[in-house]
Amino acid sequence: MSSLARSAPAARTTVRPGHRRPNLAPYLFLAPAVVFVVLTVVYPLVYNILQSFFDVGLREVVQGGASWVGLDNYRDQLGRSEFWHAVVVSLVYSIGTVVIAFAVGLGLALLFHREFPGRNLLRALLLLAWILPTVVSANVWRWLLDGSYGLLNAALSGLGLLDRDLFWLGEPNPALLAVIVATAWSFAPFAMILLAAGLQSISPTYYEAARIDGASAWQQFRSLTFPLLRPVSLTVTLLIFIFTFKTFDTIFLMTGGGPGNATETLPVYAYNEAFEFSRFDTAAVATTVLMVISIALALVYFRALRSEEGA
Amino acid sequence: MTTVSRRLLPFAAVLITAVYLIPVYWMLNTSFKGAEDIFATPPDLIPLPPTIGSYASAVFSDGDIARGLLNSGIIAVGTTVVTLLVALPAAYALARLRVRFVSAFLMLFLAVQMVPSVNLALPMFVLFSGVGLVNSYVGLIIANCSLAVPLAITILRPYFLAIPEEIVEAAKIDGCNELTAFWRVAVPVSTPGIITVGAVSFLQAWGEFVFGLALAPDERFQPVTVVLAGITNAFGTKWNDLMAVSAIIALPVIVLFIFLQRYIVAGLTEGATKS
Repeated sequence: MSSLARSAPAARTTVRPGHRRPNLAPYLFLAPAVVFVVLTVVYPLVYNILQSFFDVGLREVVQGGASWVGLDNYRDQLGRSEFWHAVVVSLVYSIGTVVIAFAVGLGLALLFHREFPGRNLLRALLLLAWILPTVVSANVWRWLLDGSYGLLNAALSGLGLLDRDLFWLGEPNPALLAVIVATAWSFAPFAMILLAAGLQSISPTYYEAARIDGASAWQQFRSLTFPLLRPVSLTVTLLIFIFTFKTFDTIFLMTGGGPGNATETLPVYAYNEAFEFSRFDTAAVATTVLMVISIALALVYFRALRSEEGA
Repeated sequence: MTTVSRRLLPFAAVLITAVYLIPVYWMLNTSFKGAEDIFATPPDLIPLPPTIGSYASAVFSDGDIARGLLNSGIIAVGTTVVTLLVALPAAYALARLRVRFVSAFLMLFLAVQMVPSVNLALPMFVLFSGVGLVNSYVGLIIANCSLAVPLAITILRPYFLAIPEEIVEAAKIDGCNELTAFWRVAVPVSTPGIITVGAVSFLQAWGEFVFGLALAPDERFQPVTVVLAGITNAFGTKWNDLMAVSAIIALPVIVLFIFLQRYIVAGLTEGATKS
């Protein structure tokens, strides 16, 4: 491999000095990864899109022989209220999670911005919430929120705020709120790290100047911290939105999309279409829509990253 | 800030952290309780006397959990090894070798990370059914690597970029070719990057759920995350057992995090935000 790569440019330089023939060796380093990603990501994605134009049930998955139906699956899905319901639930879930995770993350970042003993240990402990496997945190939340014996209800009734067994995951709106809080609980420490890095990059001289001018703590936050943190805030917000929008496991494990379809987001809807009803074609429509929205969000994110680097 | 509030700050931070981690504490608390103690009202804030009965029954008398843990270990180790083997040379090429369209390749690997795993799990089920990769370790490892490899490349590239040019040049003068310079020089000096990628790949594969759920209907091949979800209904209200299994799944994550915190945090945040 290397002898070929070395002799090739030498042979060429005699003909056109200064113009080197491309060296192939670097591409051999790169090839396995590119081939792998094309086979395991690009190909399944394209295959999935194609499936959305065919009639695919369990029989077709096992035996093959699906027939082309054009846009029928799309017409079917876009005319179904369950589909649009899933889109709306996805948006509410993602926006709710972003708002809570960002607010809590910012609060934590500001809290840990100052030096004090034990700071690093406490911050590391908070990160536990973020790195715990979703299966673990989802199960723990189900137990905390249990209607009869859950810790949350015990605390609320102890404080006199609740006088009945509230089954959080058994009623539509509480269930949606519950999955949002559980997801935000995991993402807030992630927001904290990125926002803390943003805070770190603000020069202390600004604050000194503000103090000399007699600005209060709140004024400093409003006219210094918040605007200077805006680029990082945009990154954090978009990233958490993208992550949440495609989240499947938290909801699947906590509610399965229920009660009814109160917490059924697009990924859960797609999964249920495929594996509960064996409708792989309409599932493909749902995942294709999910991907189009994800790509759009990713493009916004990349643009934000670039303008942040340019600034 | 006044001196009073500065003095209070550490206490406020401890209090807030403690409240934030109540779910983790409650998992451990419940896992050490006996079957009847979990229904006490108000609940016991400290499990007295603590019992390890749930751990014993969950791991030792329930073969499903033990097998699931073994499966998760195989899948996570396999994913880590394959990811490193594929991603290391690619990241090196994109960092140090003469490759055209570097930014296009980087964009591909970054964009791919935004793909929802459901979008891969569903077509993979159909495609894997055709080639006998459903219900197999190989299939699950491939599925996990699909998203781990692009992330690994994104994380590793800056480490290779940071190697001083002289080191690689010196190796080539000493008779190394492209491959041996990579393997004998660049890889060893990038150990922190390799630890980071190894830890991140392992953790994500260990906690992975969607691929396991879709691609391993046969429980003999299911990772412990899927086994846990499957037996949740069978466990009914045995929350102590459920929390014990959850704690066992969390244990390797916590241990790795204690030792490799800096690497893991850097990997997971920079993988997502650097281009």
